[in-house]
Amino acid sequence: MGILFTKMFSSLFGNKEARILVLGLDNAGKTTILYRLQMGEVVSTIPTIGFNVETVQYSNIKFQVWDLGGQTSIRPYWRCYFPNTQAIIYVVDSSDTDRLVIAKEEFHAILEEEELKGAVVLIFANKQDLPGALDDAAITEALELHKIKNRQWSIFKTSAIKGEGLFEGLDWLSNTLKSGGG
Amino acid sequence: MSGHDSKYFSTTKKGEIPELKEELNSQYKDKRKDAVKKVIAAMTVGKDVSSLFTDVVNCMQTENLELKKLVYLYLINYAKSQPDLAILAVNTFVKDSQDPNPLIRALAVRTMGCIRVDKITEYLCDPLQRCLKDDDPYVRKTAAICVAKLYDINAELVEDRGFLESLKDLISDNNPMVVANAVAALAEIQENSNRPIFEMTSHTLTKLLTALNECTEWGQVFILDALSRYKAADAREAENIVERVTPRLQHANCAVVLSAVKMILQQMELITSTDVVRNLCKKMAPPLVTLLSAEPEIQYVALRNINLIVQRRPTILAHEIKVFFCKYNDPIYVKMEKLEIMIKLASDRNIDQVLLEFKEYATEVDVDFVRKAVRAIGRCAIKLERAAERCITVLLELIKIKVNYVVQEAIIVIKDIFRRYPNTYESIIATLCESLDTLDEPEAKASMIWIIGEYAERIDNADELLESFLESFPEEPAHVQLQLLTATVKLFLKKPTEGPQQMIQVVLNNATVETDNPDLRDRAYIYWRLLSTDPEAAKDVVLAEKPVISDDSNLLDSSLLDELLANIATLSSVYHKPPEAFVTRVKTSSPRPEDEEYGSETGNSESAADSAATGASPPPTSSGSVPYAAQRQPVPAPASPAAPVPDLLGDLIGLDNSAIVPVDQPAAPAGPPLPVLLPASTGQGLQISAQLTRRDGQIFYSILFENNTQVPLDGFMIQFNKNTFGLAAAGPLQVPQIQPGTSAGTLLPMVTFQNMSQGPPSSLLQVAVKNNQQPVWYFNDKIPLHVFFTEDGRMERANFLETWRSLPDSNEITKDFPGIVVGNVEATLDRLAATNMFFIAKRKHANQDVFYFSAKIPRGIPFLIELTTVVNTPGVKCAIKTPSPESAPLFFEAVETLLKD
Repeated sequence: MGILFTKMFSSLFGNKEARILVLGLDNAGKTTILYRLQMGEVVSTIPTIGFNVETVQYSNIKFQVWDLGGQTSIRPYWRCYFPNTQAIIYVVDSSDTDRLVIAKEEFHAILEEEELKGAVVLIFANKQDLPGALDDAAITEALELHKIKNRQWSIFKTSAIKGEGLFEGLDWLSNTLKSGGG
Repeated sequence: MSGHDSKYFSTTKKGEIPELKEELNSQYKDKRKDAVKKVIAAMTVGKDVSSLFTDVVNCMQTENLELKKLVYLYLINYAKSQPDLAILAVNTFVKDSQDPNPLIRALAVRTMGCIRVDKITEYLCDPLQRCLKDDDPYVRKTAAICVAKLYDINAELVEDRGFLESLKDLISDNNPMVVANAVAALAEIQENSNRPIFEMTSHTLTKLLTALNECTEWGQVFILDALSRYKAADAREAENIVERVTPRLQHANCAVVLSAVKMILQQMELITSTDVVRNLCKKMAPPLVTLLSAEPEIQYVALRNINLIVQRRPTILAHEIKVFFCKYNDPIYVKMEKLEIMIKLASDRNIDQVLLEFKEYATEVDVDFVRKAVRAIGRCAIKLERAAERCITVLLELIKIKVNYVVQEAIIVIKDIFRRYPNTYESIIATLCESLDTLDEPEAKASMIWIIGEYAERIDNADELLESFLESFPEEPAHVQLQLLTATVKLFLKKPTEGPQQMIQVVLNNATVETDNPDLRDRAYIYWRLLSTDPEAAKDVVLAEKPVISDDSNLLDSSLLDELLANIATLSSVYHKPPEAFVTRVKTSSPRPEDEEYGSETGNSESAADSAATGASPPPTSSGSVPYAAQRQPVPAPASPAAPVPDLLGDLIGLDNSAIVPVDQPAAPAGPPLPVLLPASTGQGLQISAQLTRRDGQIFYSILFENNTQVPLDGFMIQFNKNTFGLAAAGPLQVPQIQPGTSAGTLLPMVTFQNMSQGPPSSLLQVAVKNNQQPVWYFNDKIPLHVFFTEDGRMERANFLETWRSLPDSNEITKDFPGIVVGNVEATLDRLAATNMFFIAKRKHANQDVFYFSAKIPRGIPFLIELTTVVNTPGVKCAIKTPSPESAPLFFEAVETLLKD
């Protein structure tokens, strides 16, 4: 009862909380995106062996963003973080065309998860600043996004280094979550 | 009943763990913190909360220092039980080691060092490297210790990553605490390494001496210990070092004082100037004396150390004997040690005082202490010739008070005094003899008997005295008997009269015929032979002059003393034993075997190979040892087997003998004797022993024929009835003619799935054998299921778990073997592996060990096996899961046989 009341209360004042997972293969740019969103600057990162968690306040939503390491050795533990997740940000290195197949497989494996049935999906086609990066349409094709059913999703071209596209994606996310998608 | 009753089956109550899990994932910080506190509380009282690992680790990234510390505490405790998931904490450690708050940086690096999980050690090197060069001394000093911890986990890694160099650099750090910890870490690493790692130079020496004055007391101990290992170049340098260190003698912490004493004693060995040495000795006395005003426990430690110090340099405390006088309320262990030191410090100058003390102690109530005091008087008498008479006077006074144990103890020491000063104090023997009747302790008796025998010529009634002991000869302990024997012989040699002659006969008879103690008997025979062949020679031998003794009891060998002095202020100097005598160190150079699980984890294949190599005791030699059956095999198999074998038996039993495959005659059966299936009595003199075995992936029927008839037997043939597994001979039986009184063995290759019987699985194997001379013999054998276990039955752990889950619970069958004991786990695992029952994993459940195995029989039917037992206690529970549960009884039979071996 108390929690319900708080929820009503916070939504009244527009203070919604959302738990978001940032997933993707290693070296996709997840940690850089997280800190770009949180601090607005580019930090130098090392491979995340484990996780980072930060709170990002954006358009009246408090996002609790979990950035999970993308190494093959850590991917099996992603599932530990699935419960109660409202949204997934799936980050793809658009210039790493060799591993798009793996990225696709991991992506669809996530969508299969029962615990993530209700989560909305935001795809970041990252590293657009690099030469040879595929655009959003090509990534949509490569990830077979059209196969997604019963779920809201969207894809954005981003460059975490330049800070492009990230907040557009977050806008979409907050609007979707506010409209009851989460 | 209505459907409403279903509500009684659903409950809103969850277990504690799910509740905690929910709270740990709460969106509210306070709630999460409370939850972590609850988890830690549960952990502290011993509940297993390891299943909450990820949930707790998820709380790790927090601003709240208190919460972070709790999560770290949890990690230290459970990382080992969740080695895979521990990796999730790595990133947070890396982040925390870069936190702006030095306390968090230090906390992170300290916790990292406590997590002994191989997989994550590597990731922790970079943060550690950074922390060793941190701006904050608190972080650096913590990191220094962490290097020593890491060295214990993975020495190679530490050396490869250059941590040792970083540590050595820290010796020049400007913060004395960092220097002290670097020294402590290096010293610990050195102790675990065979190579010289920490060698002090004159440069580091200066650094350490400077840091010594500024760092904390425990830091000082580390530095002093390191300094005491330094070999000074010459006396001058040694003097300089000692001079810098002497102020430490005034420190309030006794560990610092003792370490300083140790260091000074070590360097003093090099100092040649007697003036300097005398001066130093003078300086060391007051601090040592001060230690004796501390609590009794510390006094004891100090006394044990002083005991060593006075053995090397008695002058230090020569004038301080009074501080070692026992107080009435000293605990007994302190009193005993003080006595020991008083004896060592006793001199002609202070002996009167000391004797007064000892005499006082001898009248106290504590029996052990009184005895030791009496003995101390004796030892002083032996040590100080000029004081011997005074000591003896005191002893006689003590004897006069007629306290039984005092008298006995006095007699024991007086015997030693007689040995030390022969022909000097024998006048007191008369007094001793008065107390003869009160002696009841073997040692005192033996001493008194020795005295009587030794001085028989001066004791008029020596024969009477000895005779009184002889009555009880058979009941006396061995060393009293030996003394009686020798004393009687001495008496006889000194007074060869009739009385002693009779006595000697009684004693010799007693000691040779009526005893079963070989020492006594041998000695008696030697005396007997001596006396009967040449009494003069006997006199020369038995009454020979004895070497004079000196008081060397409780004195340590000089090299041991050196070693102990180098270890002053450690347990070694309290035990008076070198460290290796009571500490066993695990050498880090050898691979550290995983203590929980082995065999399936990557990274320890080396250790698994090690254990396998040691487990397979002597390598099987084909030619060296003569196997049981091969020995009896008279002739090799005929070069060409009789081409078409007439299938007589097949007709008899009504079967077709399929697949006559010519096979090379395999090696003769070896190993333990085969079970007899057809005894000679049934087989008209032919005895058949046989058993199914598996070798190199093939099943054989190992058979031994023994011909106890009067005629040679030949033309052997064999046939198997239909059976569950369709076992049949792969070829004809190749047995040569067997002469009467000889035997022949063979290995018959078998094929499976030939003539399968219907119905429930059974282990029954019906066999028929015939030869040209006798009727057909039928006998039954049992099929041990384990001969079907295939070599490819090993399962990966993941696969095992998956298969276990995929099989319905109805396929799980359990059986108890109450009588079976698993003694040696290694040997059992080896044995099972040899029969293709593969070990997968092991876990502990309460006091039980649970082992998991996999096995596979042909046609890909797997068996997943769980054995639960308490090692060395009867009772093994075996649970199996298999797609073919109907073969479970056969399986249990096989397991029982395997475990029983």
